[in-house]
Amino acid sequence: MNHEAMQELLAGYALRSLSGEDAAAADRLLVEHVPGCSDCRRTLDAFQLVSADLALDADPITPPETLLPRLHREMGPQARRRRPVYLVAVAASVAAAVTLGGFALTEGGRANRAQTQADFTRKALDFARTHNADMTPVGPTTEISSPGVREFYIYGNDVPTPAPGLTYGLWAIPIQGSQARFLGDFMPDDDGYFGLRLLLDPTGYDHLLITEEQAGIRPAAPGATKWESAPVTTAA
Amino acid sequence: MPYMDLDDLELHRRLSQGEQEAFDELYRRYGAAAYGLALRLTGQQLLAQDVVHDAFLALWRAPQAFDPARGGFRTFFLSLVHHRAVDTIRREERLRKRQERASNLEPTVDEDVAEDVVEASFAGQRRKEVREALTTLPPEQRQVLELAYFGGKTQVRIAEELQIPIGTVKTRTMAAMQKLRNVLQEESE
Repeated sequence: MNHEAMQELLAGYALRSLSGEDAAAADRLLVEHVPGCSDCRRTLDAFQLVSADLALDADPITPPETLLPRLHREMGPQARRRRPVYLVAVAASVAAAVTLGGFALTEGGRANRAQTQADFTRKALDFARTHNADMTPVGPTTEISSPGVREFYIYGNDVPTPAPGLTYGLWAIPIQGSQARFLGDFMPDDDGYFGLRLLLDPTGYDHLLITEEQAGIRPAAPGATKWESAPVTTAA
Repeated sequence: MPYMDLDDLELHRRLSQGEQEAFDELYRRYGAAAYGLALRLTGQQLLAQDVVHDAFLALWRAPQAFDPARGGFRTFFLSLVHHRAVDTIRREERLRKRQERASNLEPTVDEDVAEDVVEASFAGQRRKEVREALTTLPPEQRQVLELAYFGGKTQVRIAEELQIPIGTVKTRTMAAMQKLRNVLQEESE
């Protein structure tokens, strides 16, 4: 794909007007090419600003007087910011959930799924750029990691939905000795998308495992292996 | 200092600490822009209210979604509203039959256009620049852009509606975005 075709995709992406294969191609572009291409990064940033500016072409219209009181009724106190020690964020979908030590993190609802995906992609790309990270295929997913950095990302498109009653489990497999560590479970959304951001001290772990597990039950040992990552890099 | 004298960044910081007054001030500043945008896309008042409601509620519940390092609050929030409105349109198939006025470029006549009431001066100036920039586009490019942005339509659907090849839609879209990029960058410098 040449740069003109790439920038056509970026223009459509900024307007949220891509679908089907083009949307998938844009996702790949954002992860595999844009982080390393300053020209495309500039173009994407500029197109996103243009897209945001287009909102101003709509006339401002005073909302109904009932809207603010309705918001006040539903706002309530803000939820306390969760600070899980291990898996710190999940960006995926209605169905996405990661459970660890009593934390069940879910984000989104159908209406903000695309926004959540976009936010996640942005964070992952920022991370990849900042740390000159490696992008390693893990089955239908991609791992973004950098040697010696305890933050990394896993995302996937077109990830099949597990069989009914099952969910995907994520495990850290130790180099030797101790048991595999269960990090959490997740489900891809209706579009087969999921994204995970993890904080993991890689010391002592060899690789990650994605398994199939019984939904709603915290597994004691890894279930059937679906995909396996490359060895975790522990030093720069 | 009164909330109305605080900048967006400070208001967002206070909102993040749970200050409802900061939320109310951001609503006062951006509620009309958000509602106007949502109404332009959805064409239905109830749906537009839901879009704006959901966007503000999301801001309250997850203020950390706004990253000041990535741009201004207005850019972030109106993008959020746009995304939600597009999702709403695509989810609600019945909106495909919405009234013509929703995609009409002329201001609606039975709504309270609030430009002079709540807008910060910067947004008002930028609005003028955006509208002037749009007039520089050839009609066929502007049409594609508006169908995508304000119609919430995919490029495939635009090609079907206009009965033109998808490649033409892509080319026109990129040309329009590049031209707007150049014009708006010049104006902001």
